[in-house]
Amino acid sequence: MESGILELYVLGDLSPEEKLKVEEMATLYPEVKAELAEIEKTLGELADSYAIEPSEGLRDNFLSKLTFNEEDTNTSISNVNLNNKQQTFSSHNNAKVIPLNSSKLNFYKYSFAACFTLLIMSIAALFVLYNNLQESKEQLAVLQSSNQDYANQVNYLDKKVESTNEILSIYTNPDFKLVELKGTANSPESKMLVAFNPKEQKVMIDMKNMSMPAHDENHQYQLWALVDGKPVDLGVFDGVNPEAVMKKMKAIDKAQAFAVTLEPKGGSVNPTLEKMMVMGAI
Amino acid sequence: MIKTKKITLEEPALIEALQQHKAIGAEALYDMYSASLLGVIFKIVADREIAEDVLQETLVKIWNSIHQYDATKGRLFTWMVNVARNLAIDKLRSKDFRNHSKNQDIENHVNAIDEQRNTTYKPELLGVKDLVEKLKPEQKKIVELVYFQGYTHVEVSDELEIPLGTVKTRLRMGIMELRKYFK
Repeated sequence: MESGILELYVLGDLSPEEKLKVEEMATLYPEVKAELAEIEKTLGELADSYAIEPSEGLRDNFLSKLTFNEEDTNTSISNVNLNNKQQTFSSHNNAKVIPLNSSKLNFYKYSFAACFTLLIMSIAALFVLYNNLQESKEQLAVLQSSNQDYANQVNYLDKKVESTNEILSIYTNPDFKLVELKGTANSPESKMLVAFNPKEQKVMIDMKNMSMPAHDENHQYQLWALVDGKPVDLGVFDGVNPEAVMKKMKAIDKAQAFAVTLEPKGGSVNPTLEKMMVMGAI
Repeated sequence: MIKTKKITLEEPALIEALQQHKAIGAEALYDMYSASLLGVIFKIVADREIAEDVLQETLVKIWNSIHQYDATKGRLFTWMVNVARNLAIDKLRSKDFRNHSKNQDIENHVNAIDEQRNTTYKPELLGVKDLVEKLKPEQKKIVELVYFQGYTHVEVSDELEIPLGTVKTRLRMGIMELRKYFK
């Protein structure tokens, strides 16, 4: 006991045989056992006197390396970890620590995902709608142009109907006197029709069924009325006029005959008798 | 340093909790012994960072090999200190540690050696009375070499060129002396 072998035993500095011997002695002699306990206690306290508090993170680090047998350990450990962490924060700076709880975090996570999905869907919908809009615009343009075509056609037909009605009203009106002008020696083949309504003082010429020789750009035909032997100007007209059907001339209330002369463009004050093309008496 | 609660258990309860790998056992092990074990390890490796690494290793090893501990042969703490000392000494002799030392500046070298030999005062130990200082020089040397440097008594005998019997006697006297302070 005085040899120092018990101290070496406690320090783990003995051969296996020596160790066995000491253990045997300890079971046989209570005072050996007591002495061993005393040495252990002393060396333990010696170690304690040098104790150094480990760094703060070490505890969590150590615990995180282990796996435990109980089922409820995870929560208890993580609670302890959480406490320690919060204390670490608060001891380092005095800023208020607001723990983000995971459900709140999850809420933001899912909200973000939802928003993102909505954004994608909106963009897709916008794209589809834009395409539809373009298509509709094209169809609208086609419809508008065809509508325009119809309108034009209707206008054209309207005009046609109008002029036809006009002609019809002239020919069916008993107040109109139809005067046929026949070709003179200058143009024996020419002929035209003048409708005269003395009551309403209207003079119309039938442009459609007119048969007059063509004239150049510098000349026009001029219609004259013979009133008590004197020629009265009733206005000028062109020999070729594809649009008009009946042309209204200047007003006059009486006439004995009508004649047409070829005059310089714009007409003349007095008729050029040598250039008389057609004439007809009422 | 603030801790919410330090878990302490009676030794038999702790041993049982450790053997059953219960969380409470790990927490109590850490709270009850990490500081003392770190002190022992630090005395040996003389580097705070390395000491904490070794402490981690030690605690994990205790956790994993608790079944090797036999309560009839001594206190749990004695066993744990031996585990810690062995790991610390392995570290001290490992390539890692030698590289770590080599990386230090030339100027620091003397200090580093002093630190490793425990000849300088360490601020980490501020407030802790260095009990070994109270021993007679020849006892102090042997207690330090054996307890904190991990020398076997045979190695001490060779190193100090004194007979084995004298080593053992001085060690015993030293420990007897220390007992007085803890009474």
